Parts: sequence; structure tokens; C-alpha cells
Amino acid sequence: MSDKKLKKKGNVKIDIERCKGCWYCVNYCPTKVLMVSDELNSKGYHPPKFIENPEENKVCIACHLCELYCPDFAIFVEELK
Amino acid sequence: MKSGYYFWSGDIAAAEGAIAAGCRFYAGYPITPSSEIAERMALRLPQIGGKFIQMEDEIGSIAAIIGASWTGERAMTATSGPGISLMNENIGLAIMMEAPIVVVNAMRGDPSTGLPTLIGQGDLMQARYGSHGSYEIIVLYPNSIQETFDLMMDAFNMAEKYRVPVMYLIDALLAHMFERVYVPPEEEIERKIIRRKVPNKVPSRPFEPDDDLVPPMPLIGQGHKIHATGLTHDERGYPNLTPKAQEKLVRRLNEKIIKHEREIWKVEEYKTEDADKIIVSFGGESRAVRNAVNSARKNGKKVGMLRLITLWPFPHEFIKKYTADFYVAELNYGQMYHKVREYADGNNVKLIAKMGGEIHTPNEILKEIGGV
Amino acid sequence: MSLMEDLRYGVEDLLRTERLPHVWCPGCGIGITLNAFLRAVLRRKIDPNKLVVVSGIGCTGRAAGYVNVDSFHTTHGRAIPFAIGIKFARPELTVVVFSGDGDLFAIGGNHFVNAARRNHSILVIAVNNFTYGMTGGQHGPTTPTGAYTTTTPYGNPDRPFNIPHLAISLGAPYVARWTTYHVNQLQNSIYKALGMKGFRLIEVISQCPTVYGRRNSMRTPLSMMEYFEKNSIVKNDASFEEMELKYNEKIVVGEFRVAKDIPTYEERYDEVIRRAKNAD
Ligand code: SF4
Ligand code: SF4
Ligand code: SF4
Repeated sequence: MSDKKLKKKGNVKIDIERCKGCWYCVNYCPTKVLMVSDELNSKGYHPPKFIENPEENKVCIACHLCELYCPDFAIFVEELK
Repeated sequence: MKSGYYFWSGDIAAAEGAIAAGCRFYAGYPITPSSEIAERMALRLPQIGGKFIQMEDEIGSIAAIIGASWTGERAMTATSGPGISLMNENIGLAIMMEAPIVVVNAMRGDPSTGLPTLIGQGDLMQARYGSHGSYEIIVLYPNSIQETFDLMMDAFNMAEKYRVPVMYLIDALLAHMFERVYVPPEEEIERKIIRRKVPNKVPSRPFEPDDDLVPPMPLIGQGHKIHATGLTHDERGYPNLTPKAQEKLVRRLNEKIIKHEREIWKVEEYKTEDADKIIVSFGGESRAVRNAVNSARKNGKKVGMLRLITLWPFPHEFIKKYTADFYVAELNYGQMYHKVREYADGNNVKLIAKMGGEIHTPNEILKEIGGV
Repeated sequence: MSLMEDLRYGVEDLLRTERLPHVWCPGCGIGITLNAFLRAVLRRKIDPNKLVVVSGIGCTGRAAGYVNVDSFHTTHGRAIPFAIGIKFARPELTVVVFSGDGDLFAIGGNHFVNAARRNHSILVIAVNNFTYGMTGGQHGPTTPTGAYTTTTPYGNPDRPFNIPHLAISLGAPYVARWTTYHVNQLQNSIYKALGMKGFRLIEVISQCPTVYGRRNSMRTPLSMMEYFEKNSIVKNDASFEEMELKYNEKIVVGEFRVAKDIPTYEERYDEVIRRAKNAD
């Protein structure tokens, strides 16, 4: 990742009950703002959680890759206006 | 077809009867002795804007007509016993999805490849029980070329009314025999067509039945967002793999036919009022039986014929109402015989069997019922 | 809303959301493929009331149950002829078969071959996960030689179909292969195919971590995805040999055939109707 400051462009909403914990989203997020949560959903899967850290350039750039990789329709990316 | 008299084979009459009854979609695979139905449909359907397709096999043929049925078409296929063996998989699908279709079986000598060009009646139980599972189906069987034409209207109407596959039996004798057929004027035929019930708005529970136990059928392309499956499903159409859903669905699929069996039954009672001997028969074979009955009557014997036009659901009341010796003349080793026995209630029942290839001669039948 | 946001909410409308979560296992690629398909439908602006999805039996066969359009979950192998009945009766509809490799190429192989040959205007999305998932991971017509499945405990002696090559040999006007790793290419490919006519085939190499990956040292969803990521090569003019899939080797993906203006069965039948009407 370059030194250039990334601009935050999106927020992520996760439908925790739809998630099955495959973690594609965690893996393919280019800015690593998704992490495996310690929490379990009612089916017993660990959903991701959305944690940004602008200091380390960890912001959602609204690339929507997590949405495209999620097999369970569990992620919604909202773009900042 | 213009009103008038025609000289047709059973195959042609079946095709023309279907067209008269509103059939505009046919998918099939050639097989003796039904191929002339396909040939007639290939010629006639495009003339009236209908669709004919020759598929890669019988399995594809029946799948295609079920798909077409969901678009609202009155759809048909035709085959013979070996083809029915393949189609039985999707007979079950049509039962479960409640898709109206008509399937013609021109029965030939059997089992297996058997006698392709000669008559058999070995598929009567197959017609009823061929697909796996517990279900009711309608099976009709004419015995003349005129009736082969006329009865097609009932076949389509029943399929559409009850949302069920109708198996239309003919046999190699009828398929290839020519007789004179009267085609009534178009308006007269048109009046007889019963269209399927369709929902007047998008239903939230498309498989919820009316009082007649039949749900109105939504059609593809009209915003119903239909979901239909061969899995056990709820009234929304969604899979529901529980004993409770199974009980509710399968019970209804059976009862919607049983509830209407009196409307479905068609039986010819020929000289049976005073008969002390009744020969049960159907299809090509019944032509010999009628002959035998006539000879017996000439000699003062009280013999009659019960000709089953509806084979399934079995018209049991027509057996129960008589006190007589029953004979069942059929071209197999005993199929409907067992059904007659079930309802004969103390009356004697005797099987007059022939393995097929030809019908009985009237004399053979007379001999079996104790001579003239 | 931005286009991508529109698509995301559009996908919700095209799903029977009351039935979610779906039956597929964690990380199963069928959901990724379905997502790509629905987005392509939205981008193509296809009227959902004129779209029909037909599936056969198996894990992928369940797809029909989740799409909020006229959808049919048929018998094993018979999705294509069922779809043909619909398309032939109502050519104005967009008809898509969404089914699995075992369903389409083993038990349904004869229908696939003949439907492609006749060039019916349907899109077939063939999810190939190398196995029969629903029944517990037996080998199928696409399992690579040497792979381990519950019915090939010593490695698969069988040889898999070369699906794109098969489709091309039958004259299918659009033939492509992607993996579920290629989420954008896959979506674009479906988008393109939806805009064409004739028999279109898109093979989607998809992960079944549960019963295939497990026996072939790709136990987790991510390890299967990594295999696709590391081993895929895009090559649109791939040869027969390059299109062949070998156990744990390269996966050649791409658009292998794009042919316009080949008359479809339905169009040719219009000509039949014209002739029949004139012959009277
Ligand atoms: S939109 Fe892109 S950056 Fe934002 S969370 Fe998803 S994958 Fe990460
Ligand atoms: S990709 Fe979807 S299902 Fe997988 S972990 Fe992320 S949110 Fe959950
Ligand atoms: S068994 Fe395999 S193919 Fe089936 S849902 Fe699970 S991961 Fe997907």
C-alpha cells in the first residue's frame, strides 16, 4: 500500500444472520477493514466485523468486492455522499 | 378442421382430436405405433400457429410439455409403452407441480420392445402406478376412431380442470385402423372447451386450493413469480420437507381426483341391465367383446359388456351395482381383472387373458364364458 | 444511489429473501454465481416478469428456489428440456437454466447436447464444482482424473468432460468459462450472454469446500478460492488441450466463442409456421 492517504468512501452493513463465516470478504477486502468477529450468530458462525483505522489507511474505499464475493448476500456497502 | 366426414386412422384422429380440443404445443419422440400422431402434429400445428418439436427422447418430450403447460398452452406428447417407461419420471413431476398435460400411449405388445406393430394392453397398471409415489391420475381409453377424436376433448378438459396429467390410451389396433370420423362444426367444438382456472390477482399462496381442491394456476410471464418444484412444498410453492407438509400436499393431490371421480368416470354399459354375465373390457379388445355379446344375445343368453372408457380412477361403482358373473377380457396376464375382483363383492370373476399381438376372436370369448 | 448500491438493492428484490439464509454451505460458490447472475440481469434491465429460471436437481438446482421470478425446480437432468418447452411456447421470455455439472452433463447430457445442436435461445449457467455435492461428494462427469471423492477412494480413473469444447463442437454461439474468483469477469460474461441469442453456455468453476475440497486438500472455502486465484489463466483463444481440466493444474478461463447471427431454433420455426400457413 502506498503512503498516499486513502479516502474513506463507504460504510459496510452486515446481515449477521445471513453470514456463514466463509471470510472471503475478510480476505478480499483490499484495505483490510473487515475482520473476523469473536461473536457467533444464531447458526454458530463468526461473521465479519467492520473496523476502520484511518491512521493505518484502513478505510472502506467502497470497491464493493466484499459484496461480490459474499455467497450469502450478507453484505451491503453504502457509499458516502 | 372443417366440419364433415373424414377417413382417419386412430393416430390421426388422436392428433386432430387434440387440436380440436385446443392443443397447440406438442413435443415428442417417434415410436411405433404412435409416430403418425407426431407426423400429423408436425404438419398441422404450424398451420394454426401452434408449435411442434421433435425432441431427443421421451424424457425431454414430457419435460418440454410440462414447461409449455406452465405458459398456459394445452400441451401433449404421444408415445408407446417403452416411451412411457421413460416418461414416468416426469409424470411424477407433473403430478407434484400440478401441470395439466395429455400423454398418449399407443399400446403395443409387451414387455420391453415386444411387438411394436401389434396390439397389447399391458400398460394399464403402468398408466396408473408407473411413476414412483402415491398419486391419482386420470386414464382414458377409447375404442373407435370416432371416439378417439371425441374423447380428446375430455382428456384436455380434465387435465386442465383438475391440473393433472391425463394418460390417453389407445392401442396398435386403433392407432393404425381407419374408420369414418365426423368432425362437428368449430363453434360446437369450441363450446366444449373448459379453460383452466387462473388466479385473478397475484395470489400470496399460489398452491392454496379452492373448494374443489384444485388451486387456480398462475401462468409464466404475468408477474406471479411462480415457484414450482418436485419437492414437497407448502401452499406458497416453497419446499417444505416435513411430514406435516407431505401429509397435507399428497393427501390433497389424491383427494382432488377422488372427490371428482363421478365426473371423471365414463363407462359404456352395453346390454347389462338384465345380464347375468358381464364382460368387462376396453379399447381395441372391446370390439371383439361387443361382437361376442351380440352373438350371445342372439342365442338368448343374458350377456352384457361393461366397457371402461375411464380406467383410472377405477369406476368401481359400475362393478358394485351388478349381481352377475364378471369376466375380464384383456390383452395381458391379468391387470384390471384384479381391480374388478376388488369390487365384485361375492360375484364370480374370471380372467379372459391373451398376451397380445391380436385381440380375442368373439368365439374365444364365447367359449370362455361357457359357450353360446 | 450509485449504480453499485442500486445493484445491491436490486439483488434483494430479485431474491426470495424470506427464504434466506439459503441451504448452501459456508463458502459454497453457488451463491457467488447467483449474485453475479442477478446483477447481470439488473444491468441488462430485463423485466423480472419476463425472466424464467429453471434448475434441475442437486445443490445448484436449489437456485431456482431463491430467485424472485417465475422459477422451476424440475427433475434431475431435465432443466434444459423443461426450459425449451417454455422458450418455444413463449419466445418473448428470457429463459435461463441455472444448474450443476452432474445434472447438466451426466444425467442431462443428452438434453444438453441436443439443445445446443438445435440452438434454442436459452442461457445455460453451468456451475461446475467437480462433484455431486447434495448426495455427499461422489465423482461426476466433470471430476478431474485422479481426484478423490466418496466413489473414487483411490483417485478418479474416469476422464472429465471438456465442457466448453463440447459446447463449441455443437455450434453454441456463446461459450465462456470463469471461476467464482473472477466475480467481475463472470458478471460481465453473463451480462454479455444475456444480450445475445441462441444457446449460450457459461461454465462456472465453483468451490465445494464441504465435500470436494475436504477430500482434495482444500478444506476451507478460502483454500479453494486460492486455488482458483493462483491457477487461472485467461486465454480466449484456448485450444482443446488448454481447455481440458486436469487435477490441481491450471484452469484456462475466458470467452472461448462469441458468434453472432446464428439463427435460433425458435427463429427457424417461425419460418416453418410461415411456410405451413402459405401451403394451405
Ligand atoms: S467495499 Fe471494498 S473496501 Fe469496503 S469493505 Fe468492502 S471490500 Fe473492503
Ligand atoms: S463473505 Fe459473506 S458469508 Fe462470508 S464471511 Fe463475509 S459476510 Fe459472511
Ligand atoms: S455440498 Fe458443496 S456444492 Fe453443495 S452446498 Fe455444500 S459446498 Fe456447495
